[in-house]
Amino acid sequence: MSGFTISRRKMLAGSAMLLASTAMPISGWAQTPKKGGRLVLAADSEPRNLNPAIVASNGVFFISSKIVETLAEASFDGKDGLAPRLAVSWEGAPDGLSATFKLRDGVKWHDGKPFTSADVAFSALHIWKPLQNLGRTVFKDLAAVDTPDDLTAVFKFAKPTPFQLIRNALPALSSVVPKHIYEVGKIEDNPANNAPIGTGPFKFDEYKPGQYYRLTKNTDYWGKDEPYLDEIIYQVLPDRTSAASALEAGEIQLAAFSAVPLADLDRISKVPGLKVITKGYEGLTYQLVVEINHRRKELADLKVRQAIAHAIDKDFVVKTVFLGYAATATGPVPKNDPQFYTANVPTYPFDVAKANALLDEAGYKKGADGKRFSLKLLPAPYFNETKQFGDYLRQALAAIGIDAQLVNNDSAAHIKAVYTDHAFDLAVGPPVFRGDPAISTTILMQSGIPDGVPFSNQGGYKNDALDALITKASETLDTSARTDLYKEFQKEVAADLPLINVAEWSFISVARDTVGNIANNPRWAVSNWADTYLES
Amino acid sequence: MIPLRRFLHTPEAIAGAILLTALFAMALSASLLFPGDPQAIAGPALLPPFQDWSLPLGTDRLGRDVLAELFHGARTSLAVGLAAAAAALAVGAVVGTLAGFAGGLVDEMLMRTTDAFQTVPSFLLALAFVSVVGPSLGVVVIAIALGTWTGPARVARAEVLSIRERDYVASARAVGMHPLEIAFREVLPNALPPVLAMSSVIVAAAILTEAALSFLGLGDPNRVTWGGMISEGRAVLRTAPFLSIVPGIALVLTVLGIYLAGEGIVETTAVRRGLS
Repeated sequence: MSGFTISRRKMLAGSAMLLASTAMPISGWAQTPKKGGRLVLAADSEPRNLNPAIVASNGVFFISSKIVETLAEASFDGKDGLAPRLAVSWEGAPDGLSATFKLRDGVKWHDGKPFTSADVAFSALHIWKPLQNLGRTVFKDLAAVDTPDDLTAVFKFAKPTPFQLIRNALPALSSVVPKHIYEVGKIEDNPANNAPIGTGPFKFDEYKPGQYYRLTKNTDYWGKDEPYLDEIIYQVLPDRTSAASALEAGEIQLAAFSAVPLADLDRISKVPGLKVITKGYEGLTYQLVVEINHRRKELADLKVRQAIAHAIDKDFVVKTVFLGYAATATGPVPKNDPQFYTANVPTYPFDVAKANALLDEAGYKKGADGKRFSLKLLPAPYFNETKQFGDYLRQALAAIGIDAQLVNNDSAAHIKAVYTDHAFDLAVGPPVFRGDPAISTTILMQSGIPDGVPFSNQGGYKNDALDALITKASETLDTSARTDLYKEFQKEVAADLPLINVAEWSFISVARDTVGNIANNPRWAVSNWADTYLES
Repeated sequence: MIPLRRFLHTPEAIAGAILLTALFAMALSASLLFPGDPQAIAGPALLPPFQDWSLPLGTDRLGRDVLAELFHGARTSLAVGLAAAAAALAVGAVVGTLAGFAGGLVDEMLMRTTDAFQTVPSFLLALAFVSVVGPSLGVVVIAIALGTWTGPARVARAEVLSIRERDYVASARAVGMHPLEIAFREVLPNALPPVLAMSSVIVAAAILTEAALSFLGLGDPNRVTWGGMISEGRAVLRTAPFLSIVPGIALVLTVLGIYLAGEGIVETTAVRRGLS
């Protein structure tokens, strides 16, 4: 194996192309993966339901993606940005009415039963489509899944469905769970939701509430020689400051999802034996967004929305709130998206004088106290950064004569206030871009969404042209025509400002030097970690 | 002047008086020394103290002036502390007087209600109240008063029980005064001193509770509070510890000052009673 190491090293030195390639693992290229060892890492939340087929969210994937696998995983260099997992190949029919998946041979569930196309059909029809938070939209027209043999699954759609969308949805939405476990009883109440059974490189072993989750090696895993690790322990550390000290003390070897506060990274990066890794989250971009309640007559005025956009100093937000670990946003698709992003949209440079002029033009003159009108501002409580941006936004609005009153809520109360009761004027939200605007982005601007759907357009915004564009894009099968429609969509959103995109950010991992093969795919933290290893 | 001189006799009381005067001076001068919004962004973020003399105590994560926040925070702390203590004392004194003076069923009902409130830890009660109603200054004041009125109520009732048997109460009855008039004009004023003696402890506890609520994110987010400052600073505790230490020290000195001054007053009155 040392021969391989040297040749790899030479190749790296010689090839500028490979250096530039994003597929290069951050570290570990000089080492041979070792077998064995226990990886201990920080977990900041304890999801009740660990079934990723029902709850497609990063908190669940973080743990369950090692146990339950998807049809395909995101990849830096694979075709269409995908690497095969349970499916080895996939193809969409030209009419958009079917999609064929060839499945991997010789895969076994953790309880020893063979994995077949019946499991895929069951998961798709009985879980992804009716029960999954994101699958409900993407698979809404799925009518049947044919299983001509054990290793072929053919998805049949009632209406043409773009294969580009299905493909982009595979990494997050296609977790396959065993039919023989879930066909008895109610799916939502199945005990396997709390102790998942999958095909992944690790088996679920034990969960002690408030303490840890333990996963152990699946010796029957289909990947050759994989997994390398014997055990993964998720140590529950809800307090962010404790993750940093636990890393320094060597109690844990990895803290993903920015468990170490951004302000500590500078200091931590200088600690010998620890490394700060900003890669491995390219497929999990969060967007910092100002949600607007268009029911307020002031905010229904485009000039007021433009003024607010001009009042926000995006560079300051990136530099101060995110300490540089973020990028400024131009529109509803993040800059790091390889397929859809366009920079060709109206922009709103930081300009307080212009913002004031726009508000004067709109007819909202400053009163004797320097205030034009008052607004209720609800920052989402999920991240330190969303709360801090709320504090900043209040000051930015004060500078243009808008008096914003902050209202702090806990997560449940925030979701109810914004998405059910509409008791807000402005809200700060962190929606996630999931590789395709149709998965979780267009829902933020589309009209006609029932009250109470979280992370959707609950601001009463209605724009017929934009609605038509969204519908047309969802029915367009041709990939390049569909991409063009989404570029048009970005332009329209940036022009009409149903909401204001401020910044885009991802997470940071901090790990011991001994952890190898970190961040080698765009969804690394929520991928299966079959190739992750520990040097002794 | 005699009581004041006696009050200033003990070093603790002098220290307490100095601290309290400083605190009041800070609170009163806040809008003169730092006009405008104390939460406005005033300079570069995370500037350490004593670097730039226009921002002597440095700036926080967004670049807000820590000294301005400290002064305006004194205002919030003091306002909440005094208002909550006043509310608790008023409610406690009234409930205690009514219970003690009326006796019987009214006494039973009022005192069992008091018991019920006393069985719930006052901080948890405040926490629950604020999370249900939503954080704002008024709600925080009510929340704190809700958990602290029971002490004054019990003390007031005990005092009233002994006072209502006194001769002047009997004579008030004899001249035909309305019972409520007797309770509040004759009995309550005489029952007040021991209740008021609790005020310093209550104010100090109220300030601490307010800080704890703000620390947990349940304070009024549109006002600077010391607890909120500590909580914000906690995220950068390792890189900018002054952000938590400065308001922490202010809080300690305030509570200490109120407590010492209160002790001084109690000592003074005790000495006076002893002499008379």
